[in-house]
Amino acid sequence: MKNINKETLKMAANKLMFDMSEEQYNHLLNEFDVIVSQMNLIGKIEGVDNATPMTFPFDVTSTKLREDVATTPLDRDVALRNAKDVVDGQIRLPRVVK
Amino acid sequence: MEFEAVIGLEIHVEMKTKSKMFSSAPVTFGSDPNTQINPIDMAFPGTLPQVNKQAVINAIRVSHALNMKIDNLVVFERKNYFYSDLPKGYQITQQFRPIGSDGYLTIQTSQGEKRIGIERLHMEEDTCKQLHSWDFSLLDYNRAGIPLIEIVSLPEMRSGEEAAKYVEKIRSIVTFLDVSDGKMEEGSLRCDVNISLREKGSTKFGTKVEIKNLNSINNIQKAIDFEISRQSIILEFGGHIEQETRRFDEGSKETVLMRVKTDAVDYKYFTDPNIAPIKLSKEFIEEAIKSSPELAESKLKRYKELGLNEYDSSLLIADKDISNYFDSGLKSGCSAKLLANWVIGDVQSCLNKDGESIKAFPVSALSLGKLILLVEKNEVSNKQAREVFAKMIETGKEANELVKEMGLSQVSDTGELLSIIKEVIDANPQSVIDYKAGKDRAIGFIVGQVMKKTQGKANPALANKLILEEINRR
Repeated sequence: MKNINKETLKMAANKLMFDMSEEQYNHLLNEFDVIVSQMNLIGKIEGVDNATPMTFPFDVTSTKLREDVATTPLDRDVALRNAKDVVDGQIRLPRVVK
Repeated sequence: MEFEAVIGLEIHVEMKTKSKMFSSAPVTFGSDPNTQINPIDMAFPGTLPQVNKQAVINAIRVSHALNMKIDNLVVFERKNYFYSDLPKGYQITQQFRPIGSDGYLTIQTSQGEKRIGIERLHMEEDTCKQLHSWDFSLLDYNRAGIPLIEIVSLPEMRSGEEAAKYVEKIRSIVTFLDVSDGKMEEGSLRCDVNISLREKGSTKFGTKVEIKNLNSINNIQKAIDFEISRQSIILEFGGHIEQETRRFDEGSKETVLMRVKTDAVDYKYFTDPNIAPIKLSKEFIEEAIKSSPELAESKLKRYKELGLNEYDSSLLIADKDISNYFDSGLKSGCSAKLLANWVIGDVQSCLNKDGESIKAFPVSALSLGKLILLVEKNEVSNKQAREVFAKMIETGKEANELVKEMGLSQVSDTGELLSIIKEVIDANPQSVIDYKAGKDRAIGFIVGQVMKKTQGKANPALANKLILEEINRR
């Protein structure tokens, strides 16, 4: 398994566009040590490489599809209540393209 | 050195469902910003996506039309990225199990017929519309969540013409299947081109350039042709192609650099745990296909079987709504050939003149069919039918009613016509003598006189027949 060090965490944080204090990185690193050792333990189980990865813990297959019926949308004022800056009914941000 | 272009296309088709891919917010075009959204589109906490049944039916229909294998298990993944165009922080898509795979379509080019392989077709949700000003961006989430299908071709096209024909065919399929309006200029069909060049005969791929912002089929062809010549010149002079994204500039008709591509973005795809895999029954898939609207190709075949020539048939299927109008007109029982002539000629010229869509045309197809039946029964002449047609557009009245109102009914009553004919022949004995002496033209004079007496209302075919019978009797 890939070794997780502080550099790996900083790179991941950078990709996700946030940063943390040194103390928080150390805390997370300790948590990863536990996770990685648990993973290594699981890796020792015989035949684990042949098991199919699962997203759901049991068969949750459904046949449910929503009928294509439109319902009344949100009132715009309600929808945009949390937006800090609204211009002509649109949310305004600093320019997001170069 | 001779080069060969290797072209693959990614087409996004916006579906015209009533509601969005995963929410029941309405799908509209041109509404006020942020008025067609609901809590799911805005990723409010606690909301859960629900898959739109019609979107799945549409994806099955398009997959079938593209000769694809259809997966009976619908699974969605999350494509994770941090950007303002989707409030969830990820787009729901089908990365690992596209609903359609391994298909193809056949195109007709100036070089003949060619089969283009299609790798995959998957469903996903559209992103929000961003409007960029010089120092800010505006977000309208109305588009966020509109159902999309993405169709990814194999890199099997070799020219701008082939790519244009391919897109034309996809556009025809999605519009005839009522899946999308296919309007490139409004963004409901969007196309990205991947193009590289390699030495002819080589099997190794060259460096790929992506072209975006192609808003018409014409521009796709022009952009590819330009890109082929741009890359050829670079390679010819020993240069190398940069992996980059370019856009087509309509003014200069050239592709221009948008950004140089660095490492591929890792989207950390994983199965969306909020959507349980959906099992589609065999019956569901079969019913979606069976109830599919008719494709242009099938219509073309049917029109030819009705006796229409290739040219007329092609004109009718060039527009889905025109062909639907023609099909409705056929229900009147009128001649297919006459109806085609009217639709391609008179109806189309009215539409061109007024810039209207056939859907808003004031004369229904069935009403037009009834007018044509009057012509076929010789109740009105072609000339009179055109006068009636003009009135139908103006008043919205039916042909039968207008024929009476305008006093246009042809005299088709044998007794009435025969008495007029007898009068004319009695008054012109010389014409009878001339005709019997072999002067065929003499009959024309008699016909003219009958028409004059009936103010042009005599049924010409019947009048001719009765005149000949009467002369021969004398």
